[in-house]
Formats: sequence, C-alpha cells, structure tokens
Amino acid sequence: MAGRKLNKHWKGILLFLLPVIVLYGLFFVYPLGFVFTVSLTKWNGVSAMKFIGFKNFIDNFGNQNFQLAVRNNFLWAFALGVVQITLAATVAMILARRPKGWRVLRTVYFLPNVISKVAIAMLWLAIYNAEFGALNAFLDMIGLSGWTHNWLGEIETALPAVMFQEVVYIGYFMIIILAGTMSVPESYYEAAQIDGANVWQQERYITIPMIRSILVTAMTLAVAFGLRHFEATFLMTNGGPANSTTVMGLILYKALAALDYGHANATGATLIIVGAIIIAAIRRFLSSRDAVAESKQ
Amino acid sequence: MRSRFLIVLAAIVALVLVPSFVFASGQQQGGGGEIVINWPSIWVGQDAKAPAIDALVEEFNQANEGKIKVVVEPNPDYDGYRDKINAAIAAGQVPDIFIFNPDPTTFQYYEGDLLMDFTKDLNGAWGKQFVPGTIKGATKNGVTKSIPFEVGVTPIWYNQDLFDKAGIKEFPKTFDQFWKDADRLKAAGIVPASQMTGGSNAWTSMLWYSHILASIGGQDVWDKPLTDPQYVEAARIMQRMFQEYTTKDAVGADAGVSGGHYLAGRTAMFINGPWYIGRIRDEAPEVYKATKLTPAPQVKGGKYGAQIAFPLSNLAAASTDDPARRAAVVKFLKWLTKPENVAKISESAGSLFAIKYEVDRTNIDPLQLQFIDALNNASFAVSHFQANFPVDVTAELGQGFGAMALGRMTPEEFVKQLQAVANN
Repeated sequence: MAGRKLNKHWKGILLFLLPVIVLYGLFFVYPLGFVFTVSLTKWNGVSAMKFIGFKNFIDNFGNQNFQLAVRNNFLWAFALGVVQITLAATVAMILARRPKGWRVLRTVYFLPNVISKVAIAMLWLAIYNAEFGALNAFLDMIGLSGWTHNWLGEIETALPAVMFQEVVYIGYFMIIILAGTMSVPESYYEAAQIDGANVWQQERYITIPMIRSILVTAMTLAVAFGLRHFEATFLMTNGGPANSTTVMGLILYKALAALDYGHANATGATLIIVGAIIIAAIRRFLSSRDAVAESKQ
Repeated sequence: MRSRFLIVLAAIVALVLVPSFVFASGQQQGGGGEIVINWPSIWVGQDAKAPAIDALVEEFNQANEGKIKVVVEPNPDYDGYRDKINAAIAAGQVPDIFIFNPDPTTFQYYEGDLLMDFTKDLNGAWGKQFVPGTIKGATKNGVTKSIPFEVGVTPIWYNQDLFDKAGIKEFPKTFDQFWKDADRLKAAGIVPASQMTGGSNAWTSMLWYSHILASIGGQDVWDKPLTDPQYVEAARIMQRMFQEYTTKDAVGADAGVSGGHYLAGRTAMFINGPWYIGRIRDEAPEVYKATKLTPAPQVKGGKYGAQIAFPLSNLAAASTDDPARRAAVVKFLKWLTKPENVAKISESAGSLFAIKYEVDRTNIDPLQLQFIDALNNASFAVSHFQANFPVDVTAELGQGFGAMALGRMTPEEFVKQLQAVANN
C-alpha cells in the first residue's frame, strides 16, 4: 500500500502540471471531441447542427474520390516512411563515417528544411512546367524529347512528381538518424573490423540494430507526415488531374470551403483513427528496446 | 496554506485562459467613445482597388474623427480570406465588415442571425443608387443581408496582332468558324486559347464553359438542372478546346499560368474581368494595346451576343444590438457605395460596380471602356457557373476538365461527376 501513498509534494506537482493539463485539454482534447461530435452531424457553421449518425462516414467511404484519397495517403505514408527513411538512413550512415566534407554535406542536406514548403513547391512547379520548365528543357537538351511530359498534368506522372519533390528532401530525418548513428560506440566497429567484418556487415549487424528505436521513431514521424500530407498537393496540383493526386487533407479542406463541416470533420476523424492505428501498429511490430541505451548501461 | 494553494491555482488557470478570451473578443470600442470598425479586406496590397479604397477609408476616418474609425486588416490572399471568413462565421465571430463572393455556398451565411440585415436601409434612397436587379440578387427569402458592390464582366479577350498574323480579320461569330480560325492560329505557330484546370474554380476555363452554356441555354441557362443536355454539349466543346487548342500545360495550370501565356503573347485568346486591366497594362503593354473584347462564338442552334456578368463581391457586416455601432457601419457602407466614390474606384482600378455611377469617358482606360461597351451591347447577360452552383461542384470542374482533356472522361461522364458532387 506504501506505493499508493500520495506524494507529499502533490500540490506542487499539480501546480506545475496544471498549465499543461489546461492547455492540452483546451487545445487538444476539446477540439478532438469537437471533431468527432461534428462528424456525426450535418452542419454548415451557421445553422444549428443536426445529428445524422454515421451518414458522413458512409458518404465518404462510398465516394470514389475519397477512396482515391485514402489510397494516395497510404502511398504517401509508404513514400515517406519507407523510401525517404531508407534514403535518409543510407546518407546518415555514410556521413557517420566522416568522409571528407561531411560537415558541409550535412548542412547542405538539411538546408531545404529551413525553407518554406510553399517556396519549395513553387520552385518545383516551375521545374515541372510543361511549356517552359527546367526538367523538360533539360530532357530536350540531352536529346530525350520523347521523355518530356506535362509532369503535373498527366495522371501517370502527377503523383510521382509531387512525391519526388518531397521525398528527395531527406535532411530532417537524416539529421535525426545521424545523431543516433554517431552515438554508437566506436569500439564496436573496431572489434568488428578485427573480426574481418566489411562495411556492409558493420552497418547491417551493428549500426541498424543499435539505432533501431531511432529508425522506428523516424519512420513513425514520416508515416504521420505522409498520412496528413496536404501542402505540396494543394499548391502543385490541387488534387488533379482528374483527382488523381487527391489526399484526405485536401478533401477535408474542400469540404470546409463548401461549408460542409459534417463531411470535413468525418474526414478529419478518419484521418485521426487511421493514423492512430497505423502508428500504433508500427510501434507494436517494429519497436524494440533501445540497443544504444542498453549498451551504455 | 490551503487558501494560498487555491489562489495560486486560480491564478494559473486565469493566466492560461484570460488571453484566449481577450484575443477572442470581437467588437472594439476606441478611446473616448469612438466606434472602431474592423474590416478584414482583400482589396489591399497589389489589388488594383487598394489605393482608391485606402483613400476613401482615410477620408471617412478624417470626417468622423473621434466618432468612427474604420481599420482595414490586410488579407491579400483570396482563398485564405474566404477560409478565414468561413472559420470566423462558424465560430460566431463575424468581422465588423467583410467581403464575400456571392454564390449558393456563401449565401448560407444568411442563415441564422449573424449578419446585419439591410433590408429596411435599402428600401429608401440608398437602394435607388444600385443597378436594378442587383439588390434582388443579394436578397434571399425577402431579406437583404449584404450589399452588392463589385460586379464582374468577363468577355473573351483576344490579341488582334496575333489574329492578324494568322490572317484572321475578325473574331469568329460561330463555333464552326472558330475551329477553322483556331487551326489557322495553330498553323501560324500561335496557341489559340489559354485554359486551366487549377485553382479552386479553374477560373478561365470555367468562364469559357459559362460562355458556351450561355450560347446554348440562353437567358434561362441557369434555371436548367445539371441533367439538361446543355451541360454535355458545352462540355464536348470544352474537351475539344483542351485537347487541340490550348497550351501543353493547361491541365494543372492555375490562373497565373493561364494569364501569363496571354500576357506573354503565347496565346491569342483568354478570359478575365476588368480587374486584370492594370496588370496587362503594366506588364504587357503591347498585348494590352492589341487586346479586344468580344462575346463568345455562337454554338449551332444557340444564341449569339451574350456576356457573362455577375456579382463579384458583396459587403456584409456583423449583426449588433448596439444602435450606434449599427449606424456607424451603415454610414460607412453608404459612404463606400456613394456613386462619386464608386466612380473614383472604378476610374482608378478599372473595376465595375453594382452602383449607378458616371465615369468620364474621356478620362477612362480604353480597355475599361471596351468592358462597359461589351456589357451595354450584350444581347443578354447571365452570371457564370460558379455563381449558380455550390463551391464543391465548381471545384470539381477543374478535375473534370483535366480528365476530359486527358481522354479519361467523356463529356457525359464529366456531367455525371458534377451531378454526383451536387447530390452528395
């Protein structure tokens, strides 16, 4: 029973926690409850809300564009959670070996993360433009005119084009993984080298297991970014052509613009539920105890 | 000890909550009983109307010093502005004065009692200043909760120099001739028309579609539901335009790209309103000089000479129980819609208004004169697609145009898609 005894400093603890609890309740718990409540109603923001049960969810899942958006969000989660993290981890492992100029490269890779996503999307809009874009001009210049496209205006190329301009900026996750990689004790690699392990074997059997928890965290974040993806698609294609690049965030935004708060919040609630399930699954199946932390104990 | 704990607890809660309530509060009263009217406005920054509006607000504030002060809050992004107003209204925090594009979605603002009711105010002399029919257009269920202000006229713009280069003497009056002339333009290395599928409403292409529909459907075009064959017939023409007579980047292009092609002299035809005059005059003086305005060609069996004219911006205000504040808001709106003040904005910006006003024809931009004449000479005028359908249906136009352009959708499927969104 001693463990259940109230901490004698409970008032102080409560006072310190209170601002956070109040803010968390006000700006997270309450809005979350509001999202789920409104998702069960028909509401235009002006008239009184009308309870309609799960009709908004049924409408959404019966809507072809919504199905397309869910598929695209999963593709985004894969592109960021798997492709981008793999690229970021590869570059981090290379830089962790401190090749010549690694500090400059680290900054160069990270730099795009301090630039506004809007500016980057505008830059890529210009690069992809079918009439005067740099990409088509380059392909023309090297004699590959047959490969030119209206990159953002063709169904086959639009989604990969938008994804590429996001996946290629690996700096954010590279820095996180690099920090983990550099914290692996040097002696492990020295021992492996004495045992005759090559570079690939060192990374495979030492680095990756040692930074597993960091990789899982980075992947969790990347998947979350993919599931809630909005900005680049909104700015570059607005979901087009023919809704082929649409995502749930965009459907939510368009429903808000149409004063259809019921469907908008149903979309938001779906995003939250799907996101929570996927992230819980990632944590459940990929997480393990922190090998780096263990090694230091 | 206990009471001190409770005091600290209360202080922390107050510290966290009070700023929210303070910053969430809406209407302000200036010092000494001055009524402060906040006006989040899109007519700021690069907007052509900004200088004239600024001057009028300044003049009003000086004339009412110590009593009323209008404070303009700049919001230069149109979509962002609309989102802000939607969010403010949903939260019950209606701005003192705001602007909105009238359409079936935004007219939902009229529901409830959030907006100021101008019905009685407009019954008197003030209402007589407006172009007949414009107040009726802003009246729903017998109640007028917004003031019609700016109107848009969007004829087809064409570059006479490029037409000359292709050997075309006059703008085609029928679509049969239009296709032939478009082929001649192409043969001369000129892209016939700017089109776009991007933005929230595929603006330029939405206007092309509206012109074609007006020719097919006549004055009652918007009385017909989406099941009417006119929508498919017009979509067929749009599909051909997209597939054969526009730029390679039309699918996915936004208003900047579609307008940019016309300004750069790459396309021979374009559609936009008089607010674009300032930009073309400044950025492409040669194209500006060569630009002429015209009605759309006639669809076989349809009408010729229609113009697309529509209410572009209405002014609305938050309802209030305070008679002094209400009077202040009405006073400012009356000032802004005074014919001589509207004439000042029109002459400086090129915009047209729902208020009857005289402009000095000798001192007016020649392209603006063309706009005025285009409307005066129209066989009839109807509004555009966007003004007649909810926002989500209009948003689907761009997606559908893109799908038709890429051959992924037939005109019939395009219209079915619009119907599906409308029925959702």
